[in-house]
Amino acid sequence: MKIATLATLAALAAATASAQTVQTLALPGDSPLVSFRILFNTGAASDPAGKEGAAALTAAMLSRGGSAEKTYDQIIEAMFPMATSVGAQVDKEMTVFTGETHRDNLDAYYAILRGMLLEPGWRPEDFQRLKDEQLNGLRLELRSSNEEELGKELLQTEIYGPKHPYGHPDIGTGSGIESLTLDDVKAFYAANYRRGNVTVALAGGYPQEFLDKVAADFAVLPEGAPSAVEIPAPARVKKLNVRIVQKETRSTLISLGFPIDVNRAKPDWPALKVAQSYFGQHRSSKGRLFQRIRAIRGMNYGDYAYIEYFPHGMFQFQPDPNLGRQRQIFEMWIRPVTPENGLFALKLALFELHGLVEQGLSEEDFDSTKLFLSKFVNLLTQTQTLELGYALDSKYYGLPPFNGWFKEKLAGLTTEQVNEAIRKHLRSTDLNVVVITADAQGFAKALRSGAAAKPVYASPPPADVLEEDKAVAAYKLELGSVEIVPADKVFE
Amino acid sequence: MSLMRSAFALALGLLLLGGCGSQSPPEEGAIFPYRWESHELPNGLGVVLVDSGYPNLVGLYEVVHVGSRNEVEPGKTGFAHLFEHMMFRGTEKYPPEKWEEVMQAAGAETNAYTSDDRTVYHALFAAEDLEKILEMEADRFQNLHYTEEIFRTETRAVLGEYNKNFANPFRKLDEALRQTSFDEHTYRHTTMGFEADVEAMPEQYEYGLQFFDRYYRPEYTTIAVVGDFDFAQAQKWIEQYWGPWKRGDYEAKIPGEPVQQGPRSVRVDFHAPTLPLVEISFKAPAYDDEIVDSAALDLISFYAFGESSELYKKLVIEQQIVDLLAPDYPDHVDPYPFGVIARVKKAEDVEKVQNEILATFEDLKQNPIPADKLEAVKSHLRYSFALGMDSTGAIADTLAHYLGLRSTPETINKRYRLYSSVTAEAIQTTAKKYFIETGRTITRLEYQAEGEAGQ
Repeated sequence: MKIATLATLAALAAATASAQTVQTLALPGDSPLVSFRILFNTGAASDPAGKEGAAALTAAMLSRGGSAEKTYDQIIEAMFPMATSVGAQVDKEMTVFTGETHRDNLDAYYAILRGMLLEPGWRPEDFQRLKDEQLNGLRLELRSSNEEELGKELLQTEIYGPKHPYGHPDIGTGSGIESLTLDDVKAFYAANYRRGNVTVALAGGYPQEFLDKVAADFAVLPEGAPSAVEIPAPARVKKLNVRIVQKETRSTLISLGFPIDVNRAKPDWPALKVAQSYFGQHRSSKGRLFQRIRAIRGMNYGDYAYIEYFPHGMFQFQPDPNLGRQRQIFEMWIRPVTPENGLFALKLALFELHGLVEQGLSEEDFDSTKLFLSKFVNLLTQTQTLELGYALDSKYYGLPPFNGWFKEKLAGLTTEQVNEAIRKHLRSTDLNVVVITADAQGFAKALRSGAAAKPVYASPPPADVLEEDKAVAAYKLELGSVEIVPADKVFE
Repeated sequence: MSLMRSAFALALGLLLLGGCGSQSPPEEGAIFPYRWESHELPNGLGVVLVDSGYPNLVGLYEVVHVGSRNEVEPGKTGFAHLFEHMMFRGTEKYPPEKWEEVMQAAGAETNAYTSDDRTVYHALFAAEDLEKILEMEADRFQNLHYTEEIFRTETRAVLGEYNKNFANPFRKLDEALRQTSFDEHTYRHTTMGFEADVEAMPEQYEYGLQFFDRYYRPEYTTIAVVGDFDFAQAQKWIEQYWGPWKRGDYEAKIPGEPVQQGPRSVRVDFHAPTLPLVEISFKAPAYDDEIVDSAALDLISFYAFGESSELYKKLVIEQQIVDLLAPDYPDHVDPYPFGVIARVKKAEDVEKVQNEILATFEDLKQNPIPADKLEAVKSHLRYSFALGMDSTGAIADTLAHYLGLRSTPETINKRYRLYSSVTAEAIQTTAKKYFIETGRTITRLEYQAEGEAGQ
């Protein structure tokens, strides 16, 4: 009897396993192009402690290393006449492999893609090349040659702290990457690339049976899914916690922010999105911050605000999809200002944030922002692959297709709801600030002295702005910690 | 990785936007497969209308055939780019707030960029707002108005832009290459301009007025409307709003570049940690859609120096002494060098890498490209073009690049026919013609901590 029960249970378990089919998402169409997005719900939040960078290096081994069948140079050679490649994007909780081919080459392209993702080659020479590249990507690209991205990434880790699953950059840390072995990467793949956490998404002019075939192929992944990583809310800091990075640079860069309890799945997201767009629409001159800091005062090249993670913002106008996260931060990005205006720019940013929290949006601002977003949303999903990416994100957040959903939410919003969301989720104190500047000591001293900050202009702005400057200069900063770190110690 | 690639793309300006000919036609018919028309208004304004086949959106791209190439006067480098900024300072009818309001109501994504040869203003927005935006933009191009105070303020935003780019070693490499390779032509300076000129911009208000008066004229401009709209209606609006714009009479005299008489080289220090960079370049021809040379050089760039090349395989994948190898031959109105950039992992290998690249140039002169490799490059160009045209915005971006060179979409078809026609023999002849020592410039960049003397 007992044995029979066990046998029955075993049979049932086997049936469940074989029945665990691969999830798919399909946007068939008549385009001659076919877009792939193979999404795994795993990422840098699953990096083992001390092995920060494992998720990124694993994805690189798949997308830019050889398969069991083909070496990497054979893959490049085969892809070249088709003008195709495989891209990988790793974030905290999502890893996505992207590709696009003309349907003339669908079978040939897919055969290579399948080999890369399902039968990786794990060659030591690929590993060495990609590990070097990742280390250089961190130490030389991010840390040495891209100050703005460095500031934004450091803000994230400052907010979450080193022990949090979001507490290191997606690319990893210097010591984490150095410690990685080929076995670590294989182990990460075995644990995190499973049948239960993959979604195969296709768009464009592929035949229906093709999707079925891809789904069946991906069912060779081991059953189950990696255990969920708990993402706790980070503790609220007290006052302004300022981290100053000492770096050989000719300007001063500022990023600041704090965690918010709102992601796309939360009811307040559409309202907060309107507030963010009004305050600091990415790379647009229409935002309040841009107008007050750049357009009127000529202090820098641009100033923006965010409620969702948006990497590589200096290179692109629209965010990439598939950066879905359980937790997000509110962030302000103040582009480089001249060092003599550093402290004033920080005060001005906080002064504006304070104003937003206190006053919210006027009816007029609300109406114009709402109208803008209701049309602008079409730009976000302009291409087939973007539409597919947004569809995957909506699935992750448990929402209907993005464009229709967002337009509907916008239509139902009121000014009061937006201002209520601002009051509830935004604040101008208890936040983290990252400053990158050459004279870190000088900046810290000026900050601590509490002295008024006087702006330096090429040409004085109008009288009402000069009047406002007095209030900005006198804006009191409630300081918490102020710490200096040399650039070469960041993310080690 | 993506950051690295993006930083590189930033440094090379528009190379990846459609630069070094990333495309070629299907055997039957034209590579640019969209329904299009082009017209010239009596005042000289070029008009191009394209039906992208994608719904709802329209892109309005205003291509002014003025870039840093036109900055012929000493002390005025960077002015075309500064002027791009000034164009967002409004008119009496549409001050900046009003302009923003209209764009916002159209859900528009707007921006602009300046390169060596052109300044492009672009907006992508809801199709229903086309007339309003055509009207407002026509006003901006005819009636721009700003005060000296505004001008001075904007020059500081430009300085901010200069400073934000300062951390990128590829920028510095580009500056050094231009200053070494060119003696007379204005490609000698980058679009950002010389630092001293950028610093001095606040004092140049009067020159700014003159610049607008000279170049912001219909005969220097081509506008393209791309997307989901009615051609006849759009043409009518364009005539109505842009027709009154007055033609100018200024002609820029761009100095020709004398033939280079011997090999050149330069080494520059970089202030922050970076891997060493080396670029080997040769004087090469301007973009052309009739003479095969520049098209053949594009094919060479993929075959000999791209990701699928033997050299890439050797240096990046097998020996792993280089982590980035890429050709650098963006399309230009006037002759521009053909370069190859390598980022070397260790300083002691730079010499070796340099010799490997030079040997590859020699090999191109000695040995013809195998037939299957030539076909692979042509196939790559053809599919790359098709894959890139995946939205109204992408089509308009590519189009603007070519309009900056020849003012008509037909140049795309002609250029791709040229690609198809290139033979192995033409490639070898082209290599022999341009890859000569007297036209060569080698540029190197290395990290040098402050206080250490450069070698």
